[in-house]
Amino acid sequence: MIDHFLLKLRARDEIPPDEEEAIRAMFTEVIEVPADKTIVRAGKELDFSTLLLDGLLCRFKDLRDGSRQISELHVAGDFADLHSFSLKHLDHSVMALTRCRLAIAPHDRIQAVIRAHPHLGRMFWFMTNLDAAIHREWVLSLGRRSALGRTAHLFCELRLRLGLVGLADETGYKLNLTQIDLAECLGLTSVHVNRVLKELRERGLVEFRGGRVTIHDLPGLERAAEFDPAYLYLERRPR
Amino acid sequence: MNVMAHYRFNLHNSIGFVPDEEGRELAGLDEARAEAVKGVRSLVAEDALQGCIDLRGKLEVVDEGGAIVLTVLFGDAVEVLS
Repeated sequence: MIDHFLLKLRARDEIPPDEEEAIRAMFTEVIEVPADKTIVRAGKELDFSTLLLDGLLCRFKDLRDGSRQISELHVAGDFADLHSFSLKHLDHSVMALTRCRLAIAPHDRIQAVIRAHPHLGRMFWFMTNLDAAIHREWVLSLGRRSALGRTAHLFCELRLRLGLVGLADETGYKLNLTQIDLAECLGLTSVHVNRVLKELRERGLVEFRGGRVTIHDLPGLERAAEFDPAYLYLERRPR
Repeated sequence: MNVMAHYRFNLHNSIGFVPDEEGRELAGLDEARAEAVKGVRSLVAEDALQGCIDLRGKLEVVDEGGAIVLTVLFGDAVEVLS
């Protein structure tokens, strides 16, 4: 059930069997939610955190006119809101972009795990730091990368993050998003996303169609994106 | 009351024809027009950043049956003063 989460952790540090057991015991229930369901609403008091087992979630904020900015995508093995453990309520909402399977970790159980296993406390802290690093990279994209560059960058990022949990390889990955979802990640209109996708396809870099990203030229795509995976902290080392 | 309808936004411009294979649900023609104008303006804005604005394109809004219900010329979506 939590295999994707363990893969994500073990890409960064060793997790011995007793810690693995403690993580498994942290979750009380598994629920399924349909696409478009808001699972955490900004401002709502929270006494649990949510781990994504399968599907795609996003963190977003919106304006009164309904325009929405997605600030991070979550893939299988990501905690959607580990930061709610210390924040208690969030300044943003979390929504399912596809049908999702979620595991619930009550905050008191997380607290108990951290007490018994300080190393896991540090690993959880690492995870929220990683989310912050991803947000910084998205700020760079939204503020400075061209429309084509930031789209290419998102495809590079997802390839690595999905690859870590066994859901992507060199040739591509399943990505059940609409162009509207992409537009909300990239700060573009869906008309603009459509044009950018055509350009990426015609340059022979990548194709996004029918819920799948097919990478034709990975080095070319990474060049177009100025992709440097340092912000994903992929080294395995004591933390 | 507006009924939701499916619209696709097909682009014709200097790089050729870019069909919208997905489309989106919108509450009637007024929303589709607003969406089309916003889309065209976003393309023109990106062009401006690249240093060349080409207003010769158009965005066609196509309904579920494939009929063109609306055409937004790039030149009509922005006002140009010079």
